[in-house]
Amino acid sequence: MYAFELERPTTLADAIKALGGEEAQPLSGGQTLIPTLKQRLAMPSTLVSLTGIDELKGIKNEGGTLTIGGATCHADVAKDGSYPALSDLAGHIGDPHVRNRGTIGGSLANNDPSACYPAAALASGATIVTNNREIAADNYFTGLFETALDEGEIITAVKFPIPEKAAYVKFEQPASRFALVGVFVTKGANGVRVAVTGASEGGVFRWTEAEEALSSNFAPSALEGLSVPADGMIGDLHGTPEYRAHLVGVITKRAVMKAG
Amino acid sequence: MSMGKPLPHDSAPMHVTGAARYIDDIPVPADCLHLAFGLSHVARGVISSMDLTAVRTAPGVVRVITAADLPGVNDISSAAHDEPLLAPGEVHYHGQPIFLVVATSHRLAREAAAKAEVVIDPKPAILTIDDAVAVRSYFEGGPLTWKRGDVDPAMAKADTIIEGKIEIGGQEHFYLEGQISLASPQDNGDMVLATSTQHPTEIQHKVAEALGTPFHAVRVETRRMGGGFGGKESQGNALAIACAVAAHLTGKPCKMRYDRDDDMIITGKRHDFRIAYKAGVDAKGKLVAVEFDQYVRCGWSQDLSLPVADRAMLHADNAYFIPNIRITSHRMKTNTCSATAFRGFGGPQGMVGIERVMDHMAHRLGMDPLEFRQANFYKKSKPQETPYGQPVKGFILPDLVRQLADTANYKTRRDAIRTWNEKSPILKKGIALTPVKFGISFTLTHLNQAGALVNVYADGSVTINHGGTEMGQGLFQKVAQVAAGEFGIDMGRVRITATDTGKVPNTSATAASSGSDLNGMAVKNAVDQIKDRIARFLAVDGVKPKDVLFADGKVTAGNTVLSFEEAAKMAHENRISLSATGFYATPDISWDRTIGKGHPFYYFAHGAAITEVVIDTLTGENKILRVDILHDVGQSLNPAVDVGQIEGGFVQGAGWLTTEELVWDDKGVLRTHAPSTYKIPACSDRPDVFNVALWNGENHVPTIYRSKAVGEPPLMLGISALMALSDAVGACGEAYPNLSAPATPERVYMAAKKVGAKR
Ligand SMILES: Cc1cc2nc3c(=O)[nH]c(=O)nc-3n(C[C@H](O)[C@H](O)[C@H](O)COP(=O)(O)OP(=O)(O)OC[C@H]3O[C@@H](n4cnc5c(N)ncnc54)[C@H](O)[C@@H]3O)c2cc1C
Repeated sequence: MYAFELERPTTLADAIKALGGEEAQPLSGGQTLIPTLKQRLAMPSTLVSLTGIDELKGIKNEGGTLTIGGATCHADVAKDGSYPALSDLAGHIGDPHVRNRGTIGGSLANNDPSACYPAAALASGATIVTNNREIAADNYFTGLFETALDEGEIITAVKFPIPEKAAYVKFEQPASRFALVGVFVTKGANGVRVAVTGASEGGVFRWTEAEEALSSNFAPSALEGLSVPADGMIGDLHGTPEYRAHLVGVITKRAVMKAG
Repeated sequence: MSMGKPLPHDSAPMHVTGAARYIDDIPVPADCLHLAFGLSHVARGVISSMDLTAVRTAPGVVRVITAADLPGVNDISSAAHDEPLLAPGEVHYHGQPIFLVVATSHRLAREAAAKAEVVIDPKPAILTIDDAVAVRSYFEGGPLTWKRGDVDPAMAKADTIIEGKIEIGGQEHFYLEGQISLASPQDNGDMVLATSTQHPTEIQHKVAEALGTPFHAVRVETRRMGGGFGGKESQGNALAIACAVAAHLTGKPCKMRYDRDDDMIITGKRHDFRIAYKAGVDAKGKLVAVEFDQYVRCGWSQDLSLPVADRAMLHADNAYFIPNIRITSHRMKTNTCSATAFRGFGGPQGMVGIERVMDHMAHRLGMDPLEFRQANFYKKSKPQETPYGQPVKGFILPDLVRQLADTANYKTRRDAIRTWNEKSPILKKGIALTPVKFGISFTLTHLNQAGALVNVYADGSVTINHGGTEMGQGLFQKVAQVAAGEFGIDMGRVRITATDTGKVPNTSATAASSGSDLNGMAVKNAVDQIKDRIARFLAVDGVKPKDVLFADGKVTAGNTVLSFEEAAKMAHENRISLSATGFYATPDISWDRTIGKGHPFYYFAHGAAITEVVIDTLTGENKILRVDILHDVGQSLNPAVDVGQIEGGFVQGAGWLTTEELVWDDKGVLRTHAPSTYKIPACSDRPDVFNVALWNGENHVPTIYRSKAVGEPPLMLGISALMALSDAVGACGEAYPNLSAPATPERVYMAAKKVGAKR
């Protein structure tokens, strides 16, 4: 590791101030960022830790909307249970160490193409709350490791409307347990939404064809004959684009079945 | 008596409490230096410039060593002298060591190594078997063929012929303790090393060569390894030599361990194979001719590839009599890490080849694969010869397999699975029984020898030492049981000591499953000598030496009954030597590898496994539901240790053929160099139902207490997992699944889709 400054503010305001400095970057659980620094893929001179800020932590369930502080760890979301599909997702991220350190804000800011939370946010029609605005999930994910966040902008909370039915199914890459393909489906006030992670070269995406089919009949059979093209799917050491495209169909059916 | 008891591993409490010392736990002097290699970043090329200024001036760096700075021979190979420690000008694989950094800490050494500016002009790299075949990049100039009978006319007359091809992936050893060495300079330029190695003698020889000293100037000690699996037969040489050379140049102790990623990138793995086959049977379903082309990806240097490839050929028959057979072995030289020994040493790949033939042919004939296998077993009554001319004696597989099939209800379960599959369109089950017949002995005949040193102290306590190394397999405990049993004393009196080239010289690697066979006998030989001396001394008043008894902690000579302690004290006071060296050389072996004929094995170890799996045809996900194993260890020296070896062997074999996938990219870069990308079986991946039993019998040849070797053979029980998956995929349609290994979910899915499409 190289030398850097570490700031540990206790209020959001101090954090934002600290992030105004040159080459400053927020640090949450560090589960992604620290390995990135070790490999020198990034070399910020100041890290601003968000985990000492109480106002960024905690989970509230009010009027059918679950609001989760940006610095809330996966384990806390897993324990909460008021949005069962979301808690289920959080409970299957990585291992206990990762779940007790990693945060929802860190995950969404990072937008790893194989991460789980982006699928939940997109399928739930969540709202990403930052220190200066609210961004609808549909406008938030802009590409591989790319988001609508500006430099120095912090995710302070994420608001999830709790749907009537929802489920997440992850087809794990057996070694790392990241999603080779993960599908989150919801049915609620916003209609049916299907978000797919792990599969596409463009990162998380909504499978609109499946959404339409499921809107009239929320059952696995409604997806019969539907498929996504292999073109644009990720091909890497863990799977070919064809296999991933095929899995999207299978895993979506499983998610619908699980959602009931 | 200690013999045959299921005693726990001698270090088990220390393993679980963390008290067992590995090399990295040995306290080092404050001035100890630490080493790291700078590695090639291309698969093949010529080093056109190397600027190491930034490395030399990096914090903590004491010295930087290149090929030109080496004091002696620049070679780490086991035999062929084709493997430089540091690349002298040309590089042959991605990850090849080019220079060596000596620094004040492990971390500073690694950080400094990353600062080098090395320019390599790339040359076209030969990465795959296809690449190598295209340019005829062979070791030994071309393929090697062994044969028996006349394949072509026999094939022409066959009633049914199949042809096919299977790809078999390699395997990373994934020992828990990575490669590591520690060298300490001594008086007169001598060197003492503590090394995690299966072959302390080879380390001694290679270090002596590198330093230009006689062997006696180098002593190597190995107390235990945190796993070896063949990966520490030759792969520790680089670190040990690097440490010794750096210690020689700096006068300070030097230690080196690879980071896990470097370990996976630098060191060799199990050879990946492609096996093309053609086989014919007569109208009665008997094999009449089989032809194999075994393509072996050896990597850039020879290492142990020739004997590995030989052993693959020697196991191309497994348990079956094949009157006409031709085996051609293609040892391809490629620009990848140099593939090396791995539990089974080529035997598993050869065996997968013939088991694939059995599976494929049974499918073609519409026969139960087990019945087809049984019909082609070697005869039990009248020994038939293997393709290499060794009579198959003591062949128990027909009985062993029948017993296993009965106790595990193979037939009923197979029928039940058929019925179940008919009603289950998405999930399909499969079941397979595969046998193992594995030849025991090193094929290089002179390696089949061992030495031991046994000391009895005047208080009746005993130390034993021998050439075998402990890697968790329980060798030391088994050999201690031999010594305690022979002396008739309890285990507490026997102290196991570290393998040490200064105590027992000229040893062979702990490999080829030979550890207990060789070292148990050598220790017994030493114990016998000491007992004989004590007996002669006590045999007075008409008592004959041979009637002096050593049992229950006592030595009895006629009416004289002494405790072992008293006997030792008296013998010492009467100037009787209580120290002896023992020796053993395996009898009845001979071998000519050029023509492929002889009697290379002292005997065969046997076993069989039934594996039941279920697959999801929509995704290829699969799971082992149940495993039943019956395995032949002769008269077990320690059933607890043996069952542990069998369980571990199966799981490692099944891991090799199902989840463990090595991926190199088109630049020759290994992309799976950490547990985040390479999946070894974990405890939770072991079968839910896992019944392991030992065959009740003894070795037909005189081995130590009529026991049999157990290290490697059980790995091949894992082949039943691959064949069970093939059976499950076959349930999707009519066509033969043609499943290659590792049978990852994607491969299983694709195979099922193909089979289903042809319905
Ligand atoms: C072994 C392992 C297994 C894993 N398995 C899974 C898995 O199965 N599924 C899965 O989804 N993930 C998995 N992960 C990833 C893990 O969930 C992420 O590392 C984690 O979510 C990132 O959160 P963090 O708090 O650690 O972020 P950090 O590593 O601290 O930060 C990540 C990035 O986000 C930025 N950032 C952090 N917080 C904020 C914020 N509040 N606002 C704006 N930017 C911010 C940082 O500057 C940095 O760029 C795994 C990780 C590991 C190490």
